[in-house]
Amino acid sequence: MNPTTLRFGIWMLATPLLIATIGLGFQGLAAVNSAMFFTWGYFVEVLIAGLLQGVLYSLVALGFVLIFKASGVFNFAQGSMVLFAALTLVGFIEMGLHWTLAFVVTAGVMVLLAMVIEKVVLRPLVNQPHIILFMATIGIFYFLDGFGQTLWGSDVKLLDIGIPKDPRFILEGIFEGGILVNSFDLVAALVGAALVAVLALFFQYTRVGRALRAVADDHQAALSVGIPLKTIWVIVWSVAGIVALVAGIMWGSKAGVQFSLALIAFKALPVLILGGFTSIPGAIVGGLIIGAGEQVAEVFVGPLVGGAIQDWFAYMLALVFLLFRPQGLFGERIIERI
Amino acid sequence: MSYGEKHIGETLLKVDNITLAFGGVKALSDISFEIRKHEILAIIGPNGAGKTSMLNVINGFYHPQQGRIEFRGVERRAMRPHLAARQGIARTFQNVALFKGMSTLDNIMTGRTLKMKSNIFQQAIYWGANQREEIAHREVVEKIIDFLEIEAIRKTPVGRLPYGLQKRVELARALAMEPDLLLLDEPMAGMNVEEKEDMCRFVLDVNDEFGTTIALIEHDMGVVMDISDRVVVLDYGRKLADGTPAVVRANQDVIDAYLGVSH
Amino acid sequence: MLYREAGQFKTSYSADQSIFPIRQDRIALVLFGLVAVLAVPALASNYFLETIFVPFLVFAMAAIGLNILTGYCGQLSLGTGGFMACGAFFSYKLAIAFPDLHIIVVFLLAGFGTAAVGVLFGVPSLRIKGFYLAVATLAAQFFLVWVFNKFGWWTNYSPSGVISAPPREIFPGFAVTGAQADPITKYLFLLAFVALLALMAKNLVRSSIGRSWMAIRDMDIAAEIIGIRPLWAKLSAFAVSSFYIGIAGALWAFVYTGSVEALAFQIDRSFQVLFMVIIGGLGSILGSFLGAAFIVLLPILLNNAPGLLGLRISVELISHLEFMIFGGLIIFFLIVEPHGLARLWQIGKEKLRLWPFPY
Repeated sequence: MNPTTLRFGIWMLATPLLIATIGLGFQGLAAVNSAMFFTWGYFVEVLIAGLLQGVLYSLVALGFVLIFKASGVFNFAQGSMVLFAALTLVGFIEMGLHWTLAFVVTAGVMVLLAMVIEKVVLRPLVNQPHIILFMATIGIFYFLDGFGQTLWGSDVKLLDIGIPKDPRFILEGIFEGGILVNSFDLVAALVGAALVAVLALFFQYTRVGRALRAVADDHQAALSVGIPLKTIWVIVWSVAGIVALVAGIMWGSKAGVQFSLALIAFKALPVLILGGFTSIPGAIVGGLIIGAGEQVAEVFVGPLVGGAIQDWFAYMLALVFLLFRPQGLFGERIIERI
Repeated sequence: MSYGEKHIGETLLKVDNITLAFGGVKALSDISFEIRKHEILAIIGPNGAGKTSMLNVINGFYHPQQGRIEFRGVERRAMRPHLAARQGIARTFQNVALFKGMSTLDNIMTGRTLKMKSNIFQQAIYWGANQREEIAHREVVEKIIDFLEIEAIRKTPVGRLPYGLQKRVELARALAMEPDLLLLDEPMAGMNVEEKEDMCRFVLDVNDEFGTTIALIEHDMGVVMDISDRVVVLDYGRKLADGTPAVVRANQDVIDAYLGVSH
Repeated sequence: MLYREAGQFKTSYSADQSIFPIRQDRIALVLFGLVAVLAVPALASNYFLETIFVPFLVFAMAAIGLNILTGYCGQLSLGTGGFMACGAFFSYKLAIAFPDLHIIVVFLLAGFGTAAVGVLFGVPSLRIKGFYLAVATLAAQFFLVWVFNKFGWWTNYSPSGVISAPPREIFPGFAVTGAQADPITKYLFLLAFVALLALMAKNLVRSSIGRSWMAIRDMDIAAEIIGIRPLWAKLSAFAVSSFYIGIAGALWAFVYTGSVEALAFQIDRSFQVLFMVIIGGLGSILGSFLGAAFIVLLPILLNNAPGLLGLRISVELISHLEFMIFGGLIIFFLIVEPHGLARLWQIGKEKLRLWPFPY
């Protein structure tokens, strides 16, 4: 059996045990400290809510990974691309387009945006150090924030494309009273999973996907075998734009389309360092861990330290993790050569 | 200069049964040799023979799975590169490893870091103890600059220098450490004949004037046979031969490794 | 013809190693100092002092701090805001608890406290590099702001979470903090304080510790092989950098705004200082000042530009346009001169050396 499969198997077994241990810990805490509340049903409910939330984090993180993989650019503007896409979509819907049509048009806008970014920002900065490109994407971040709100206004907008939002109870046989799950979160998770599957297939089996992986490995070598770097960049940024659009729809339907959408990028960053900047599975698993960990910590640990620990908990979790595994969950171990 | 009178002393560094593997790939297997005080030892071998890996092990960058290393008669444990530097091992690299954002002078001054004693507060105030120290070390560095004939480029950022000069600056930085053992990884790679002759002269002068022990990797057999006192031959991570240039040249295994064997 | 170094021969290494080896530079510096000390307070109105010169000096201090870490030691940090908050709240607690402590001592102690926090959050840099580290420093940013926002102890249980700087004097009769402080006194105090600390930063970066930082930045493996301990070099950079940033935070709260809440030091602040460092020039003390001036002046210009052009635009739209122009300018700037204003300054000086001859 190859080591990857073996490791995967071990983790499949170890994860439920780990979760159970954490649950037991909280149960112990609750027994000692009467201010804490704990039942297994509630624990699982929080966990599931966290996992579903985590899928949405993964969706944002995915956009980062795509661009980093293909061009080595840490695209800070991914968050504002989410906001911009959502604002544009709502704008078109308000103009009277059906949401499917608006989706197509907005996707077109995102492709256009990718082309402009490639031409105006990336091409003149080719061969500059990574930090300069990173700063440039912060510039894009500011620009897009301002541009989107100049075009479409800064009021909070509602986005409703007909995803059911009613809560439902599942597993009533196992836990007393069942477990409350938001059906919107379920749909979002399904969409996220579908998108990931499509992207994985795209990367693995198409000619463009192969070229993308070649570029990710070595720019010079890819150029020398005739892969058009500029086209590849446009494609990657377009794909990242469309991923941002999907993320924007999900987040926008959940919380309304507003400026704070741009800030969900900060939720995706710990996912990235946990999963590794270059790994699509890393973004997924990292998102799930961060989502679940954050939710559980907020509900069961938060009250002990004054609450609102969501802002930083994910970062601390990722940081502690990095101390033990600097290359992230799925990153390759780097052998330094001199 | 007369090489005949050169006195080669006792063992400075002893490498014993070193094995180094990356994953399943063995880069070095069961290598033993020694470097004696004041000699020039050449390590030769085809590409991928493990020569650079050997240097990396000696200065603590790679950690071998098996084997012992004795430096000045003391076995060392848990070696890190900066500890090796502290013990007096300096190094240059196959691909020039200079600090690109700094001037030639600053690059060479970094070689003096270990010898500088003023603390962070003295450095912040600068005038006084720190300035005296800076000037004293600057004088040492200027001597090295004179010695290697790079006076004209002392204020130039090293990124702008041609390759041959960069190699020379790197040698200067290593010399600034006043090492007991100097490891040179292909000091003459990519140079033209004239530059190679210069570099040979510098290596011999360093060995002669400062009494520095030198271990170098080199592909140019002419150079190796001319300047080294002893030669160690590696091939596929194994040691093929070890001895004076004449002995090594006559060794059948070495001839096979370099010229190929007909079967 | 005026800016020529020909004929100025150095006869000692100490002369060759001085900060301004060229005579004309020294003359220019003295003139510049005279303008800053005499002309600015005499000519600038209180409004200009409070909205331009005071924040410029405070930001310059923060930019020097970040430049030491990112520009000289190569460790990208996004936690500047959090460390500024540390300085602000440490100095507040110190000033309230020990009313007799001289204000400069308070600032310095707050700086040392922040340095300790910086070292703590610098520990991951020993294992992780580049953007991984940048994201890790965000942990410091979010965590620190949360701590100061969440626990009332830091604000002496002020219901609004806002701290107000108590009045303190630098010399008897010359208040630099509190409502009574005169803008000119504030400005001159900051000028002297920041200039002194900038000089110390310059001394550090031209001594062995600064060379160790740059060596780690340019090639960490080679640095280690010549005997530089990465642990010591990186953590000392975090400490010195946080020291400066902490003092900048204290100055922000005490001298610039006078009252502040933890939310003033959010992630935007970190980006603001990072922009100063990049636009001014990575690895340049002078660049820190130029970048701070640029970023302080830009929004003021953008705010007033429509009025000057006679356009009437809603406030909301202005703020959006400001974002756009700001972002656009950043990109433009990076494309035109990725090495920052300090490099432009250098190129200018080289041109001037040859002037009026083209070669």
